Amino acid sequence: MKIFTEPTDTVSPTEANFGARIAARLEEGSLDLPRSIAERLRAGRMQALAKRRVTELQLAPVLAGAQSTTETMGAHAPGFWTRASALLPFLALVLGLVTIAALQDQERAYELAEVDAELLTADLPPTAYTDPGFLQYLKKAAQE
Amino acid sequence: MGGLLATERELDAFLRGVEKRAFKRTFYHVRNEESALDIVQDSMMKLAEHYGHKSPEELPMLFQRILSNTTLDWFRRQKTRNALFTPLGDFDSAMGDGEFDVLEALVSNSDNLQQESSQSQAERAQTLHAIELEIQNLPTRQREAFLMRYWEELDLAETASAMGCSQGSVKTHCSRAVSALAKALRLKGIDP
Repeated sequence: MKIFTEPTDTVSPTEANFGARIAARLEEGSLDLPRSIAERLRAGRMQALAKRRVTELQLAPVLAGAQSTTETMGAHAPGFWTRASALLPFLALVLGLVTIAALQDQERAYELAEVDAELLTADLPPTAYTDPGFLQYLKKAAQE
Repeated sequence: MGGLLATERELDAFLRGVEKRAFKRTFYHVRNEESALDIVQDSMMKLAEHYGHKSPEELPMLFQRILSNTTLDWFRRQKTRNALFTPLGDFDSAMGDGEFDVLEALVSNSDNLQQESSQSQAERAQTLHAIELEIQNLPTRQREAFLMRYWEELDLAETASAMGCSQGSVKTHCSRAVSALAKALRLKGIDP
């Protein structure tokens, strides 16, 4: 079974000490670069800084626009009630649909109740509608 | 984002602080003074152009990564060029014309060296020269890991991130580099 161990930043003191001594030597050497090299590095650095200035100028309008947008948003930051009011149309829609569904159910119930009431109060007994002969008679009468 | 954005002065100070080490490190890799200068300048330009507005704390890591990638690009271009122009390739020696010679560098800075005895100067220069040669002889990844960890003083996680490998790999590279350097220097009778 493979065992994974958490990598740590610890190294043996001997290794760290040796590394530090080598680094110190290298650092010492890097400080004594020939003037021509140091001058070239300085020139390179100046060019890089100039490049940054150009980029800064190009980005300034964009950054300013972004900042003003942020400020505008900050000035009119939506509060709880503003955000809650944004939900009102949605709530109204849900409420409307529920109301319509309830009204339709009620209307259907009334229609059924009306039919039942007519059946029960008519001279004809309700059992007559289960008679096939009577149903045939009704169909013919309706066609005529 | 770590903190406030770097000002031009902060960026200048940062680059001033790393440029010499960056040059020497790159020189150990590419072994050519002009190329090393070009790579460092290119890296500084990229940092200033694309990341010049990052916070000062982010600059070291970004610069290390850019420098590593730019050096890698240089090697890729060299490989392509050598593949295309092998018959015309001159296979310059590692220490040919235009190379930075540490002995020459030390001699040229006579102002600082006047305080030391000439024997001591020569010994220090020889030691440094030997160390630099052995560092150049290290495999690329070992050299990169060793220099980032001990010279640039990046921690394990930062080095791993800059090198695009695991922390375990960094530890292995460093350990092997230290072992190889210690062995080579011991054979030369040098105690750094």
